[in-house]
Amino acid sequence: MEPIVKTLSKKDFLSFVDRLINEGKQSVIGVKAKGTHFVFGPLETAKDLRLDYDVTILPPKKYFFPQYEKLMEYNLEKPFEVTQNTEESAPIIIGVHPYDIIALKQTDTYYLDPQIDTLYKKRRNDAVIIGADIQKVSSRSFAASMNTHVTEDGFDLLLTDIGDKIAVTIGSKKGEQLLEKYATAEKITGKETEKIKKIRSSLPSKYKQAVKLSKEQWSSALVANYNHSLWEENSDKCMECSSCTMVCPTCFCYDVRDEVSLDMKDGKRIRTWDGCMLRDFTKVGSGEVFREEVKERYRHRFFRKGNYLPERYGFVACVGCGRCGIACLPDIADPCNLINDVAHFGTEKDTNRFFIKQKTEAMEKGVFHVPRSATIKHAEKRSEMDTLFEIELDDQKPLGHNPGQFVEVSVFGYGEAPFGVSSPPSDTPTFEIMVRKIGNVTTKLNSMKIGDKIGIRGPLGTGFDVKDFEGKNLLFTSGGTGMVPMRSLINYVVDKKNRSKYKNIIILYGAKNPKEMLFLDDVEQWKKVENIQCELTVDRCEPNECWGGCTGLITTLFPKIKADKLDSKNTVAIIIGPPIMYKFVIKCLQTMSIPDSNIWVSLERRMKCGIGKCGHCQINGVYCCKEGPVFNYEKIKLLPEAFE
Amino acid sequence: MKTKPRVAVFDFADCEGCELEIADLEEEILELIDIVDIVSFREVMKEHSDTYDIAIVEGSIMRPMDEARLRNIRSKAKILVAMGACATMGGINKIRNQWMPDDVMTAVYGDADLEGNPLFDVFKTKAINEVVPVNYYIHGCPIDRDEFKHVITSIALGKKPEIPRYPVCVECKKNENICQFELGAFCLGPITRAGCKAICPTHNSVCEGCRGLIKKAETDCVKDLLERYKLSYEDIRRRCTMYNFGREECGVDE
Repeated sequence: MEPIVKTLSKKDFLSFVDRLINEGKQSVIGVKAKGTHFVFGPLETAKDLRLDYDVTILPPKKYFFPQYEKLMEYNLEKPFEVTQNTEESAPIIIGVHPYDIIALKQTDTYYLDPQIDTLYKKRRNDAVIIGADIQKVSSRSFAASMNTHVTEDGFDLLLTDIGDKIAVTIGSKKGEQLLEKYATAEKITGKETEKIKKIRSSLPSKYKQAVKLSKEQWSSALVANYNHSLWEENSDKCMECSSCTMVCPTCFCYDVRDEVSLDMKDGKRIRTWDGCMLRDFTKVGSGEVFREEVKERYRHRFFRKGNYLPERYGFVACVGCGRCGIACLPDIADPCNLINDVAHFGTEKDTNRFFIKQKTEAMEKGVFHVPRSATIKHAEKRSEMDTLFEIELDDQKPLGHNPGQFVEVSVFGYGEAPFGVSSPPSDTPTFEIMVRKIGNVTTKLNSMKIGDKIGIRGPLGTGFDVKDFEGKNLLFTSGGTGMVPMRSLINYVVDKKNRSKYKNIIILYGAKNPKEMLFLDDVEQWKKVENIQCELTVDRCEPNECWGGCTGLITTLFPKIKADKLDSKNTVAIIIGPPIMYKFVIKCLQTMSIPDSNIWVSLERRMKCGIGKCGHCQINGVYCCKEGPVFNYEKIKLLPEAFE
Repeated sequence: MKTKPRVAVFDFADCEGCELEIADLEEEILELIDIVDIVSFREVMKEHSDTYDIAIVEGSIMRPMDEARLRNIRSKAKILVAMGACATMGGINKIRNQWMPDDVMTAVYGDADLEGNPLFDVFKTKAINEVVPVNYYIHGCPIDRDEFKHVITSIALGKKPEIPRYPVCVECKKNENICQFELGAFCLGPITRAGCKAICPTHNSVCEGCRGLIKKAETDCVKDLLERYKLSYEDIRRRCTMYNFGREECGVDE
């Protein structure tokens, strides 16, 4: 259906904007000059509106996903009092170019599927987008070759300067009503319609830059060149300033942190823009950085745009605005140049190999930033650094987790951290987590007492499919704190109700030293279970320490497995441990001829939001917090970032 | 109720601008004394006590007598916080380290007879951590009041303050500034630690690196940047003199 288009004289258009500013309920944002550049900012008068701009420094994402945003407020004097941020100010935004409109549609897909970001959604629903056809092409833009220089939807109204008049294309009921209320628009003439068409069709010739590949080809060109030397050559010049991601309309990764008022009576949880080019982006509590090299981060940014998000959602997460090209001092950030460079080096058919197709469900209905209130029921020091907590959800509902799933634990004022659940699924509202003193949240948790309140989000992620393991031998290998989530699974299968569903069980467990061995009381119980073999080892043992198990790395336990207990084809192996452990253990399993599809791993990454939005836990195209942390090795082994 | 930590503020060679930033908290000072007892703070009060848990130290160390005083402070404090560029890295006071102390004294005081006067017995400027261990840093010249509050509340809560390790550009971009390089200026933002909310470029002035460099000037990317903007190593060395003298090759320190 052809859209309705009306026209306003330039004078009437200005008075339309002035009436929006003076009479409307919503604040009015428009494109204004800032020195030799342009920005979206509050309009005081229609005269300041510059529809002849080329590109703004920041995209309009700042109105939907602000640089600093209060997610919630909490009261530190009360045991648990938290209020979600509802104060909203969704404006009318005038002059949004088509590429930015398309970028907002992409952000919608990301933030509204499957988990709805309620704050974002409210702003999107309330805001009015008054788009504008491009009059002046930015020197670095390549939007025409991305087909994002024009758009047919995604706006409430769209303005086209047709010389003596402004043509207004109506894109929504909301836009139509606004136009009716604040202006008297005329019907468009046939001649004027032709003018609009001509303006749009002549636009591509004004672009100096063009991507040589079609959007569909980005993915294959990138995948073919995953190991190309150009990542390193370019990233050698990178300042690691993440300016490219800050100015990008399709970069929407974020960090969350807690701020506390000076009198420490209350505080707020803040969401800020984060950038995958920054080193600490992938840093976890233990200090591990998963994309340590600049080259890896640099490559990640392009793969996210050209391969990971396209495989997941079907769109290239670049709209050709050219902002990163302008912002990047060494000029290595421009996807147009990068894609044109890799275009020479061949293409790859198997484009989805860095992505695991898997349907995941939204975790809880409604808000997902605000945690549920819970109470510490029991706290027991298990080693110098570890405390086992029993936690009860105050709504008295069971957590409802599968073994392998995790929860985000909030201590207001300190932040939020992910913990694997260490107790088996249960009908009661309690569950257990083991807390090792590493960062701010864990240190605080360790000092908390019975009756203290904490916040819980979850269960999160994909756990083990215990049904799938039925009728099989089970070989558990855990190292260090990997035993924490493993215990949830082991206790489930050794439970009297379930034991008969599984065949022989072998448990291999290693820790740095006897002091760091966790759940030895559980181990004693497991040893009593029928057809079970338990083998323990420590890397090191001081002469004065009491230790009855082996010494050596976890791999030294494999020769101890009683061969008659394991029919390799009918054995499922489960591995949870520190990142370094996996490849060695997997080698042992392969030597035992256990097929890769029978191997399950649980991986650690920086799980911050837990719902596949903030971007920190990505392993190539996979969100560890959503598709994982439990993965089938056969699938995850194709991801180069999984076991680096 | 838990007893409040006792805080003492001390200054060495500096302009006291960072202390002024604390004084400028105005009514928020009342919130501050809600969570800590300020037992010594020469700039704003006359009382003084030698019993404190947290020492906030401003200024650089210039003389043996400063060193002795600082060691004494360190021995009394459980936690020592270096506040402001003079304390965290020597800052402006290190400009004179490019000359020998005797030559500096002669240039400033001519042939005045200062022999034996301990006030004028100077050595090369030192940052606080060149004399005693430092627990926390509040960077900047002057410090950012919000960061001061963050560090103080973090210490009071027993958590590690979150101080950015990324460059000023991150905050500058969030503020939607026009890049100083684009305006033809030479800004140290790309190699300077953020946390200042990019206050200088936001007010159309270049970053002078007062929060410390996070990249060595010899790094390939810095060399490439200099070349691209027709600058030399000498240019960057000269620009670093203001706050980062002798630190061009230090990189991020924590």
